[in-house]
This record gives sequence, C-alpha cells and structure tokens, in this order.
Amino acid sequence: MAELEGQSEQLISFDVVIDSEHHATVSIDGELDMSGIDPLAARVDEVLRHGITSLTVDVGGVRFADSSAIALWVRWASAVQEFELREPPPLLRRVIGAMGLTEKLGAAT
Amino acid sequence: MNSVESVQRPAASRGGEAAVPDDAASEPRRSLDLYWLPVATLLIGLLVTLVLVLVSQSQYTSNEKRLLNLRVRDAAALLGESVPGTTASLAAAAEQANFTNGSVARFRRLATPQVGAKPTQFLSLSLWKVGALSQGPIAVVGPQPKLITTRGNAAGVLGGAGRTPIVNVIGLLQSPDPRLGYAYANSSSGPYLVYGERALPVDRRSRLASKNQFSGLDYAIFLGDKQTAQSLLVTSVKHLPLPSPSYAQTVPYGNNALTLAMSSRVALAGSLPKNLPWIIAVLGTVLAIAAGFVTLRLSQRRRRAEDLAGRLEVTANENERLYAEQRGIAQTLQHALLPDRLPQIPGIQTSARYEAGEEGMDIGGDWYDVIDLDEGRLLLVVGDVSGHGLRAATTMAELRYAIRAYAAQSDTPAEILTKTSRLVNVSESGQLATVLCATVDMQARQLDITSAGHLPPLVLSHGDSHYADAKIGLPIGVQEDTVYASTTVTVPPEATVVAFTDGLVERRGESLDQGLDRLRAAANSHDVGLSELLGTLVSEMANGRAQDDIAIVGVRWTR
Repeated sequence: MAELEGQSEQLISFDVVIDSEHHATVSIDGELDMSGIDPLAARVDEVLRHGITSLTVDVGGVRFADSSAIALWVRWASAVQEFELREPPPLLRRVIGAMGLTEKLGAAT
Repeated sequence: MNSVESVQRPAASRGGEAAVPDDAASEPRRSLDLYWLPVATLLIGLLVTLVLVLVSQSQYTSNEKRLLNLRVRDAAALLGESVPGTTASLAAAAEQANFTNGSVARFRRLATPQVGAKPTQFLSLSLWKVGALSQGPIAVVGPQPKLITTRGNAAGVLGGAGRTPIVNVIGLLQSPDPRLGYAYANSSSGPYLVYGERALPVDRRSRLASKNQFSGLDYAIFLGDKQTAQSLLVTSVKHLPLPSPSYAQTVPYGNNALTLAMSSRVALAGSLPKNLPWIIAVLGTVLAIAAGFVTLRLSQRRRRAEDLAGRLEVTANENERLYAEQRGIAQTLQHALLPDRLPQIPGIQTSARYEAGEEGMDIGGDWYDVIDLDEGRLLLVVGDVSGHGLRAATTMAELRYAIRAYAAQSDTPAEILTKTSRLVNVSESGQLATVLCATVDMQARQLDITSAGHLPPLVLSHGDSHYADAKIGLPIGVQEDTVYASTTVTVPPEATVVAFTDGLVERRGESLDQGLDRLRAAANSHDVGLSELLGTLVSEMANGRAQDDIAIVGVRWTR
C-alpha cells in the first residue's frame, strides 16, 4: 500500500492509493484547471505504468474542472479496463453530460 | 452586414517605457545625497565637542582662578600678620626710648637680641630722635643701616614717619643686599623713632617649603600696589612676570602696601578638571567620527535598499511589458488563426467575436468558422480544444482546416465530425475538442446540427429564445471510430442562432444551467443588430472580465 499526496497552487490536492495489485483510487479535491493538473497527471501516469487496470477517481471534493481536467479523466478512462468517476458533484455531472461523456466516464448516479 | 470584429486589439508594445534611471545625469546628485548626512553628523559632532571643550576649559579656568584667589587671600593674610610682630618690636623699643628719654644703653639691651642673621631677626636696629634726624642715629645695633649708606637723605625718608603710630615701610631694593626698612615713632608719647632693616634674599628668590600649603604656587611679592621689577621684594620665579593666569591681592603693610601675585604651577583642583577639556576633545572627536561613519553606513544601506527597490520596479515594469507583449503576441496569433472575414449570402447576416480571457497569456484553443457551402447554405462551426498554448492552437488550426476541407467535399456535419474524430486521440495528445457543426439553410430556415460534446446553439426570435435540442455525441478525441448523428431543427422567421464556447457561460461556483439561463435572459432583453448583440452578450456574460477565452458566432435571417 502506498499513499502519496500532492499539492499545486493550493487550489488542488489529491491522494493516490493503490488498493490492490490492479486497482487504484485517486481522490481529488479543489479546483482543477490546466494550470494545476500536471502533478496529478504525472502521478497517475506513473501508477498506470505499473499494471493498474482498474481506476476509481473520487471527485466528490472537486468544485471546478475545466476541459483539460475532463480530458485527463477521459485519457485515464481509455487507458484502463475499468473506470469509475465516483461521486461527481451535480455541477460537474452536468458539465460531463453536456459534453456527452457521462457514459464514457462512468459518471452516472 | 458580414463582419468579424475583435473586442480586444493586441496591446501596443510599450517597450522603452521602463523607468530606468538616467545614471549619468543623477550620479553627482546621488553622491551628494549619500554624503551630506554623514558629513553633517560629523560637523555637528565636532561643533558640539568644541563647545563642550570651551565650556569645560572656561569652567576649569574660572575654578582655578577662584582657588588661586582663595590661596592668594590666605597668603596675603599671612603676610599681613607679620606686620603686628614687626610693629610690636619697633614700638616696644620706641616707647622704651621715650620713657627712658633716649637711653642708648637700654635701647641696646632691648635691641641686641632682635638683631642677627635669622629670618625673624632685624639686620640692624637704630634709634633716632624726631627733629634731629639729620644728625643721624643716636644708636645703632648691628651694621650701619643701608638707609644711611645708600640714601643720603635718610632724614627726609624717616621724616614721614613718626606722625602716626604706624610702621613706615621703606623699600631699599637696590641690589646687592636688598632690604626693607621699618620705621616707627609715636609722637604722642615721645620724640624717639626706631628704625629696623630686614634682609631680602639677594636674588630676591625664595622657595616656599614643599610641604607648605602654598607649594605648587609661584608667587611674587611687591612693595606697593604695582607689580614692577623695581618694587619686587621676593619671588619664586627666575623671570617676571608670573606665568598666566596669575592673581594678585594687595594688602596693607604698615603705611605702605604689599601686593602678592600668585600663579599656579599645578592644577589646584586636581588633574581631572585640568585634563577634562582634552578628554572631551578626544572623546568627542572620536564619537563624531564614529557617528559620521555609522551614518554613512546607514545612508549606504538605505541607498542600496532604494537601488534594489528601483531595480525591482524596473523588473516589475519589464515583466508587465513582457506580459503585455506576450498577450499581444498570443492575441495576434489567435486572430491570425481565425477567419478575417466571414462569407456573405443574401438573406443571412453573420458575425463573430473572439475575446481572450484574463488568463489569456497563452493562445487558446477556441475557434469559430463560417463556410459558404452552396445554394444559400452556410456551415457554422464553433469548437474548443482543451487546454491552452501552442499545442491547443495547433490542434485547433488542424481541426479548423480539416473541417473546411471536409465541408468542401460536400460532407454533412455528421460526416465531417465522424472524419474529424480520427484526427485527435486523447490517449496520445491528452487533448479533447468539443465541436459544433451546423449547416444553415437560408431558404428552409433549417439547421442541421451535429455536436461533438459541445454546448447547443441558442435560437432566439422576437424576445423569445431556447437552446436547440440537438443530440450530443462524444467530444473529438475520445474514440477514433465515433459515428456522429445530426439533428435537424427548424427556426422561426427572422431567427438568430448563436453558437459559442463554454467560456461564455462557465463561471466558477455557478452551475452550467445557471450560466445558460443567464445567457438566454441576456439575449432576450436585447433587440439589437447581430454584431451589437454578440458584443453585448460577451460583455454582460463576462461581466468585464472573462476568465476563459470566448468564441461566439451568430447568424440571423433577414427575411
């Protein structure tokens, strides 16, 4: 079990927890835009290179996500066999719906 | 009216405005600024020192004068005390002579013990008769008086005496063998006058005993009230006058007077008061120099701080200039990648705007396009590549020209986006693009809309508006083999269709639906020309400060 924490510009914080051999949970809080997502992207990429095939992204604490953040999640969703965007707040769910990505991101309630 | 407007023009370069000080002109003044305070501090310190030195010197001098004055008074009092002794000796002899009618034997008996070489003794004593002075002394004990040997007119000199019972003091100061003569007579009791002489030191120099309270003092005693070489009786110095400062006191001495002058060889009040002015001078000078030096260091430090602040300001100005420049470059590039004019067809107005967001340092990935198809049809395109910067702009340009190419092949919006979806892959580039493609049929008043994850266009007519209910497909880049479908929408006569990117309606802390509702309300409340409408929507929705880039494109049926 490994736990790491990253911070960027105090707007975003995240945890990446490798739960089992093939599953990891990413918990994200704060406001995500392209100015602050690089550390998050780098950390998850590292995890994905080590055999993780199932990813749960907990975005219950995300207050804002721009298209860069959504593109990042879509990339993760394409990279693993199982992907779930857990507990997206209503604002976020609406944006994902408007982009036609509800199904792709497994963001249905 | 087919036109493209940009709300923001690239900012003009403001190069050369940075506040760089004119070094050559201001350097002397800066040096002056740097040194005047330390120099002033030094000068003030030296001035204060000088004043303190003068004050302490004057204090010392006046104190020494006061002490010397006291010593002189004491010494004068002692001198004065010798008169009664002398008077008593002479008076006793004179009264005895008067009583014994000038008995020479009795005079000799009385006088002999008082004549000798001791300091307390007379060199000679002689008895004279007033009225017969010119005949010389009746009797002499000791050697012949100098009064007789050196002054022919002894009678004249002694004539003054005898009227009052006061000792007449006569100076016989010619060298060698200087003497003082004392004459006493009391005319009320008899005619006899006694005259005595005392020796003065040959060179008139005498030292006081070292343990005497007057040791350390130089002195000179003069007969009379004048301090002249002729009237000098005795002194402790080789050469007159006494060293300054000296103090003199005149005391009565018989019928004459003695003037005692004194000067101090040592500090009467001790060495500290004497040396105090020097101590103050040295300490004050050292302190003044130290204060000047410290002030100089502080001035230099302040100067360095000011220089640093100045440099920071220059840097800040430079940063601001670079920011404006970069923003200008980004916007110039952005506008270069957008259509510089929109096609015109009869019956349809077109207009578009692009507004860089606050974070518009980078070029953005938003774009719009209007393509003239044929037979009174246009292709309306608006899209948004995720992210910012050259990568986003490059993808944006690629998509824009691909769509133009596919449109030229008479493809439908659905076919265009299906082909376009092969150009972007989020797994490779990390990029997504939302694109709205819609054919605008002037005659049929129809829109054929295909949305790749993009917000639907707003359709408004005569103060009423709604968002076109179009099926939304995946954004470009999610899946290579996505097949898009289109939705056909018929619009009311003289309708206006506005397509836009999410920057127009997206605000942090607000839901997407709230933003869409605000846009609809804003569109309903403005019955103005198309170009003006787009401008108003942008400024109202952005509330003066758009966070993200905004692309907005509109078409309006004119009949």
